[in-house]
Amino acid sequence: MSNAQIEIQLIASLVAIACAIPGTFLVLRKMALITDAISHSILPGIVIGFFITHDLSSPLLIVMAAASGVLTVVLVEFIQKTGLVKEDTAIGLVFPALFSIGIILIAQNANDVHLDIDAVLLGELAFAPFDRLMIQGTDLGPKSLWIIGVILVITLGLLIAFFKELKISTFDAGLASALGLSPVVVHYGLMTVSSITTVGAFDAVGAILVIALMIAPAATAYLLTNNLKKMLLLAVLFGVCSAIAGYWLAHGLDTSISGSMTSVLGLVFLLVYLFAPNRGFFSVLYRQKQQRIEVSLLTFLLHLGNHHEEEERHVKHLNEHINWQKVRSKSVLDLALKNNMITIEKDIVSLTDKGKKFTTEAIDYIVTNKNSEIENMKDRFFLFRG
Amino acid sequence: MKKIITILIVALALFSCKKGVKNENQKLNVVTTTSMITDLVKNIGGDAIEVQGLMGSGIDPHLYKASEGDVTKLVNADVIFYNGLHLEGKLVEVFEKMEHQDIKTIAIGESLDKSTLIGSDYFASNYDPHIWFNVENWKLITTFITNQLVTIDPKNANVFKANSETYLAKLSKLEDRLQKTIATLAKEKRILVTAHDAFSYFGQAYEFNVVGLQGLSTATEAGVQDVQKLANFIIEKEVKAIFVESSVPKRTIEALQAAVKSKDHEVAIGGTLFSDALGNIGSKEGTYIGMFEYNVNTIVNALK
Repeated sequence: MSNAQIEIQLIASLVAIACAIPGTFLVLRKMALITDAISHSILPGIVIGFFITHDLSSPLLIVMAAASGVLTVVLVEFIQKTGLVKEDTAIGLVFPALFSIGIILIAQNANDVHLDIDAVLLGELAFAPFDRLMIQGTDLGPKSLWIIGVILVITLGLLIAFFKELKISTFDAGLASALGLSPVVVHYGLMTVSSITTVGAFDAVGAILVIALMIAPAATAYLLTNNLKKMLLLAVLFGVCSAIAGYWLAHGLDTSISGSMTSVLGLVFLLVYLFAPNRGFFSVLYRQKQQRIEVSLLTFLLHLGNHHEEEERHVKHLNEHINWQKVRSKSVLDLALKNNMITIEKDIVSLTDKGKKFTTEAIDYIVTNKNSEIENMKDRFFLFRG
Repeated sequence: MKKIITILIVALALFSCKKGVKNENQKLNVVTTTSMITDLVKNIGGDAIEVQGLMGSGIDPHLYKASEGDVTKLVNADVIFYNGLHLEGKLVEVFEKMEHQDIKTIAIGESLDKSTLIGSDYFASNYDPHIWFNVENWKLITTFITNQLVTIDPKNANVFKANSETYLAKLSKLEDRLQKTIATLAKEKRILVTAHDAFSYFGQAYEFNVVGLQGLSTATEAGVQDVQKLANFIIEKEVKAIFVESSVPKRTIEALQAAVKSKDHEVAIGGTLFSDALGNIGSKEGTYIGMFEYNVNTIVNALK
């Protein structure tokens, strides 16, 4: 591994962490789209910066870009506060307007200058190690590593200092104001951090990867936990791992680094979506099947409780009377047997004491409409689940 | 999380020491950006140097996306030749900074006399980067690159000088052929309408009136008024054909054709010109000379 390769992975990891933190809050607040919006609405800032300096490489252009990112956020908040439209609509109203102002400014005044976002923000991870910070001839490492490092330290500092405020105002803005915290201030603070992170990370890794790194890790983490701290940690973990895995994928295929990282992020989300223990696709599917069998079991036990006649309690009767298919009646019988709720003597099924108790309690809960209690009860009675 | 940061900082400190010394016996590693420069440097260096182009044949500098392999190419480069004048966008700045990292980076555009460059009407320090569309410029650049290579790799000086002379002779012959072809086209018919402003140097050198539909920036698109104005211009000057570029989408030029048609006039699409990149390697248009001849033949045949 050459130094450049290590530096690229280092920059990508720092960007992943710096993006995952505001990203988590954006996803929770349903404002994930704001990153995409900012990546477009920085154009007028860049154009105006160029008109002031007449120099494509001036740092003022990046400062102006961040400023127009903040302006986007302020405008979105302003439109949203009118209560006439929702968050996503407000975002969708603001950024095309700002972007087109940028386009019109270029078309009117600078058509013969190569002025677009790529000309000002590097946005290419492959070249980041060559854009170095030099102070009096000493090489201090890649410039983007410093930029993103500073952004990360500020973000972490703000996160630790205002964790409680962020948490409360994210989940319950009303409670936050009641407690004397201003959700508006917290909101602007968060959005400003997001805007600066977006522009800084944009310069280092490019627009699409920034959007992916803000949203995908947080969305993936949200599938796994409801705990804010855990979600933040998981998002950081997913971001960093995907970035590094993506780098090596790009190495193997000799292809775009940001492209591979974004693909890995998508892939990780897909895997977690399929296999997550609680909200995952397969676990939901499995739980639904389990529920169906357990409902059948309860029906069967109730049937047994109501009938003392032998012919109603014959094993074969299940197929005839309750009209279950053979497979299902067998799995219901097996489940009941395994849980010691029934005994079978000469093909005649009878409830055990445990079975009787379970049935009576279940009826109580159903009659009193305490459906949620049934799950607890199942946990108490079942040795094996359906 | 703090732990991760500590590890990263330590890693950074460890790896910021500089890379090792390069092997003396190896050939000079030269990295180039556009396919035009790659072709030129290969012609001058021959087998004496290793040339690797970042933007392969047919890849437009605006559309170029770096791959992971490019990182290694750049790390191992001894010299990088690039166009400059903002053609490679932000990369130009990166190249300027690489000077401090034991990698010599040379902007061929900077070697030309600023007074021969075509500047922006609005912003004085920004020049049109499509300098290769004047063979005279390309000859100057050939000499410039040769001199640079001689200084960097003196033991192969004779190879470079010999190759350079052969190539300069070829370029002179190319010029003669081009002059002859263009001479068959009456001066008042020399109007070149293309999608974006890539042919200003060409127009200056061969007395063509060059009109681009779109500005230099690829972010903007042609306005409705631009199309209408240009359509009127085409009708007024009785221009026979307009041209598509290999690197710019066809539809803007097709829109222009439709606009002319709606005013009951005909204008043909004269063919596809190579503007910011050469054709595929192996094809005739894959070399600078082949590309130039192809462009001129296409233009002259369509406008006759």
